[in-house]
Amino acid sequence: MKPLALALAALLLAALQAALLRHVGGGAFSLCLLAPLVVHLALGAGNVDGAVGAAAVGFVLDVTSGTVKGLLTSLAVALFLAARLLGAAVDVRGRVGFAVLSGAGALGLSAGAVALQRAVALPEVQPGWALLPRMIVEALLTGLAAPLVQLGLRRLDALFGAEEPDLIR
Amino acid sequence: MLALLKRYRELILVAVLLLFPLAVFFAHAKGPGELTRVDRAVLAVTAPLERLVGAAVTGTLDAWRGYVALRGAHERALELWRENRDLKLERQELLQERTENDRLRRLLSLGEGEPRRSYVGARVVGVRLGPAGLQLVTIDKGADDGLSRAMPVVVAEGVVGRVHATSAHAADVLLAIDRNSSIAVRVERTRARANVRGLGRPDQCRLDYALRSEDVIEGDLLVTSGTDAVFPAGLPVGRATRLQRVGHGLFQDGAVLPTVDPTRLEEVLVITSGARDPEQLPAAVGPGVGR
Repeated sequence: MKPLALALAALLLAALQAALLRHVGGGAFSLCLLAPLVVHLALGAGNVDGAVGAAAVGFVLDVTSGTVKGLLTSLAVALFLAARLLGAAVDVRGRVGFAVLSGAGALGLSAGAVALQRAVALPEVQPGWALLPRMIVEALLTGLAAPLVQLGLRRLDALFGAEEPDLIR
Repeated sequence: MLALLKRYRELILVAVLLLFPLAVFFAHAKGPGELTRVDRAVLAVTAPLERLVGAAVTGTLDAWRGYVALRGAHERALELWRENRDLKLERQELLQERTENDRLRRLLSLGEGEPRRSYVGARVVGVRLGPAGLQLVTIDKGADDGLSRAMPVVVAEGVVGRVHATSAHAADVLLAIDRNSSIAVRVERTRARANVRGLGRPDQCRLDYALRSEDVIEGDLLVTSGTDAVFPAGLPVGRATRLQRVGHGLFQDGAVLPTVDPTRLEEVLVITSGARDPEQLPAAVGPGVGR
C-alpha cells in the first residue's frame, strides 16, 4: 500500500507543481518538488524501500519532464544514495538541514541531467550551462518549499504507521 | 555464490536501480523515443490533478477576496472607502475580462483570417519549464477533441509550439523555446531563409542556418516559412537580435527574441487541419533527445 501511496504522492506533487507554476510566474522560474521526496526517503526509509521508491519518483520525473527514460530515474537513485550518505555523516533531520539538502538535491538533479544530456545529445540540441542561473533559482525555491513537502510526507508516514526518524534514530 | 548474492542483495539491488536506468538512457538518448501507454496514463492522471489544483488556487483567492470584503461590511464608518474599493475591484475584474476578451477576439480573428484551417481553442492548465527536461505546457484539450501529435499551437502573437503528447482530455505542448524545437523561418522583410532553434530558456532562441550573405538586420521579424511540414507559412516566430558575422563559416550567428512569451500563456489555438502524420515528418522536427 505504501509504495502506491508514494507513487500517488509523487504524481500529486508533480501536478501541484505544474499547476502552481501556471498561476505563479507562469514558468519564469521552476521548482522540483520531487527532490524533497527523494531526500525524505533517503533520511527515513530503508535501503531497499528507499532505493525502489527513489527510482519510482525518478520515473515520474522522467515522464512528467519529458526527458529520455532512465535519465532522472538514475539520477534520483544517485540523489537517494548521496543524501543517505550525507544523512549518516551530518545531522540533517531538522527543517533547515532538510531544506538545504533538498535544494542541493534539486541542483544536483538538474546539473546531472544537463551534464548527461550534453554527453549524449546531438550538438545542436545539447543543453548549455547558460541554464545554470535557472537551476540555482530552482534549487533555492525548492529549498524554500521543502519543509512544506516534508510536513505532508510526515503526515503520510504517520498514516501508514512509520516510525518518526527524529525520535528513533 | 548464492550466499554471496544473499549477503550483498541490497547493494546489488541499489546498483541495478542506479545503473539499469542509466543504461536505458544511454541506449535511447539519440533516437527519438516513442510515447508509451505509461506516458499517456501519467498525463491522463496529472492533467485532471493540475486542473483541480488550479481550480483550488482560484477558489482560495476568490474566498480570500470575499473574506476581506465581508470584514469591511461590518465597518459602517468605512462604508465609502469600502464602496470605492469594491468598485475598484469590480473595475479591475472588468478590465481583466476585457483583456481576456481582447485576447480571445485576437485568437478568433486569427482563426477567421484563414478559414481553410480548423482550430481548437484550449486553456493552459500546467507548465513544465524546468531546466532538466523539455519545455512543456499542458492544455485542457486532448485526443477526444481531435488533437494529435505534431499539430501546431499558436496564439495571436505567433507560434507557441507543437503538440508533443496527447491523452483523451489533455495534451502536452512542446514549446518553440525547447532545445529540440527547430522551426523553418523566413525574414519577413527580405524573405531570407533560416531556422529558429530553442535554447531551453523562455526569453531567447537561436538563429540557425542563416547564410552570412543574407540581408538580416537587428529587429527583423522572422515568420514561419511553411517548409518544415509542421507550421503553416506566415506565423510570427521572433525578432532577430545580436547578429554576428564571424570571420569564417557559411552562416551568421544570432539570437531570436520570441514573439510569444511562454510564461504568459493562458489560451492557445491548436491548428487541427493540415497536420501530417508524425511518422512522415522529417527527422529535423522530431526531438533529438525526447521521449
